[in-house]
Amino acid sequence: MHAVPQLAVSTLLLGGIYALIAVGLTLIFGVMRVVNFAHGEFLMLAMYLAFWSFALLRLDPYVTLVLALPLVFGAGWVSYRLVMRPVIHASHSVQIFTTVGLSIALQNVALVLWTADAQFIRTSYYAVVVRLGGAAFNLAQLVAFGIAVLATAALFAFLRWSYTGKIMRATAQDRQAASLMGIDTGRVYSLTWAVGVTCVGVAGILLAPVYPVYPTVGLQFVLIAYVAVVLGGLGDMAGALIASLIVATVEVVGSYLIGTAWKEILYLLLFIGILVVRPAGLFGQRGAEALGA
Amino acid sequence: MTRGLGGVGPAVALFGFAAIVPLFVRDAFFLDGLILILLWGAAASAWNVAGGYAGQISLGHSMFFGLGAYSAALLGTKWNVSPWIALVVGAALATTVGFVIGFLSNRLRGPYFGLATIAFSQVFLIAGSRWRGFTSGSEGIAVPFRPGFWTLGFVDKRAWAYLMLVLAIGLYLIQLYLERSRRGYQLAAVREDEDAALSLGVPARRLKVAAIAVSAALASICGTLWAQYVGFVDPFYVFSVDLSVRFALAAVTGGIGTALGPFLGAALITVLETSLRARFGGIAAGLVGIYLIIYGVALILVMRFAPQGLVPWLASLRRRRPAPRATGTAGAAP
Repeated sequence: MHAVPQLAVSTLLLGGIYALIAVGLTLIFGVMRVVNFAHGEFLMLAMYLAFWSFALLRLDPYVTLVLALPLVFGAGWVSYRLVMRPVIHASHSVQIFTTVGLSIALQNVALVLWTADAQFIRTSYYAVVVRLGGAAFNLAQLVAFGIAVLATAALFAFLRWSYTGKIMRATAQDRQAASLMGIDTGRVYSLTWAVGVTCVGVAGILLAPVYPVYPTVGLQFVLIAYVAVVLGGLGDMAGALIASLIVATVEVVGSYLIGTAWKEILYLLLFIGILVVRPAGLFGQRGAEALGA
Repeated sequence: MTRGLGGVGPAVALFGFAAIVPLFVRDAFFLDGLILILLWGAAASAWNVAGGYAGQISLGHSMFFGLGAYSAALLGTKWNVSPWIALVVGAALATTVGFVIGFLSNRLRGPYFGLATIAFSQVFLIAGSRWRGFTSGSEGIAVPFRPGFWTLGFVDKRAWAYLMLVLAIGLYLIQLYLERSRRGYQLAAVREDEDAALSLGVPARRLKVAAIAVSAALASICGTLWAQYVGFVDPFYVFSVDLSVRFALAAVTGGIGTALGPFLGAALITVLETSLRARFGGIAAGLVGIYLIIYGVALILVMRFAPQGLVPWLASLRRRRPAPRATGTAGAAP
C-alpha cells in the first residue's frame, strides 16, 4: 500500500487540470444549452500557442499564459460572434453540427499548418521532479495544478459575487425571465462562450509543458471532460469539479490496477453507466436529460 | 413530406448516371471516386435512418461500420469464411449492439444521446486497438483477396461500382419507405414531439430502438463491403469519431431526413477530397486536409443559412417559394 500517496497526488494533479477543462464546458452548457463539440480544439490551439511561443520567441509557457489571456478571450469572443450567435436559438441538431463543423475546421487548420507530428516543449525544468512524502511528481504538473485551481476558484468567485456573474447565473436559470428583467442575453452568451474558451485555453497552455501537442490532442482531453461534465450534471459547476476528481481517480487507480492500455475503458464505462442510470448527473435534477434543455 | 412520385426524379437521374458511367469510363481513378461516393452515401443513409428519420443524432456510428469491417476481416482471415456470411454476421452483431444502445439510452435526448454514442464507439475503438490476441490490435488486419463473386474479390472496378450501386439504391429505397409509410410518419412524430406522439398511441420507445438497430445493421453492411473493397481494416480509422462525424455530416449537409440528401452530401465531400488528393499528392500531401477545412466551414454555413440541408434548400429554390419550416431544425428549445 506504499503506492497510495503517489496515487493520491497523481489523482489530484490530474483532476485539477480536468476540472478546468470541464468547468469551461459546463459553464457554456449551463448558460447557453449548447454542448461545445469544439471544446477540445480550443485546448489544442492553446497548446500550439504555447508551443510556438516557446519555439519561435523562446517564451516560457507561463509567460505565454499571462500574455495570451486577452488573446484567448478575444478568440473566444470572435468565434462566438462569427459561428455561434446565428444559431443560438436554433435546434439542438443545428447547434451540435455547428460546433462539430467548427471542430473539424480548427483541427484541420492545425493539421495543414503544423502537420500531424507530436511536438514537445523542452523547458529547462521539464525533467525536474519534486518529492513529497512517498510521492514524486513533475514540477510542471504541480504548477499546472496550482494555476488550474486558482483559475477555477477565480471563476467561481466571479460567478458568485460579481454583478456580471450574477447576470450569467440568472440567464442560466431562466433565459426568458432574465431577458424580461432587462438582461441583454446576447451579450451574456458571448461573454459566457469567451470565458469558457478562456478556461480551456488556460488549461491548454498549462498542459503544454507536460504533454505533447498534435492536431487531435483535444479529443483525448475533451472526452474526459464530457465524462466529468455529465457525471457532475451538465451545467453544474461544482458538480463538474467533484466529478473531475472522480474521473481522475478512476483513471489513476485504474491504470495502476489494470495497466495504462485499458484505463480509458474504465471511465467510458463509468460514463455509459451514469448516462444510463442517472443521466442528470450525480447532483443534477432528475429529468433534466429528458427535457433535452 | 409527401412529394408524390415526382420527388424521385433527381434520384433516378443520379443513380441512372451512376449506372451508365462505368459502361464508358475505364479510368480507375474516376471509378474509385464513383464507388466511394456510392459507399459513403449509403453509409450516411444508414446514419440517416436513426439520425434523420428518428431524430437520434448519433456521433458514434463508426462502431457499427467497424463491426461490419472487422467481421469481414476476422472471419475471412481466421476461418476463411465468405464475406457474404461475414456481412450477415456483422449485421447481426451490429443489430444486437444497436438494440442494447438504443435500449440503454432510450431516455436520452438532444446532445446527451450524441455524447453516449461517442462513448460507446470509443469502447469499440479501445477493444479493437488493444485486444491484440483477437483483433491484431492497432496494426490492423489485411483482408484476404480471393477472386470471385462468393468471396467478393473483384479486380475489375466496374464490378465494385455496380455492387455499390445496388447497395446505394437499396438504402435509398429504405429511406423512401421511411418518408412515405405509416411507420415513417410515426417516426417523424416521435422526432418532432415524443410526448405528443406517445399520447397519440405511437410506440415511441420501441420505434426509436428499432430505428437505431436497423440503422446499425445497415451501417455494418457498408462496413463489410468497404473492408472488402479497400482490403485493410485499421481500428483507429473504422472506429474513429472522425468517421462517425463523416457519416453524419454527409447526411446533414445534404439534407437530414431526406432520402437523397446523404448521397448529395457524400458526393460533395468525396469529390472535394479526391480532387484535392489528386492535386496535392506526394510532397504536399498535408495540404489534402484543406478539404476538411472547407467542409467544416461549409457545414457551419449550411447550418446557418439552410439548416434543413441542401436538398430541401434546392427544392425550395426550384419551387420559388420559402422552404417549409424544417422538421426538427426549426424552433428553439426554451
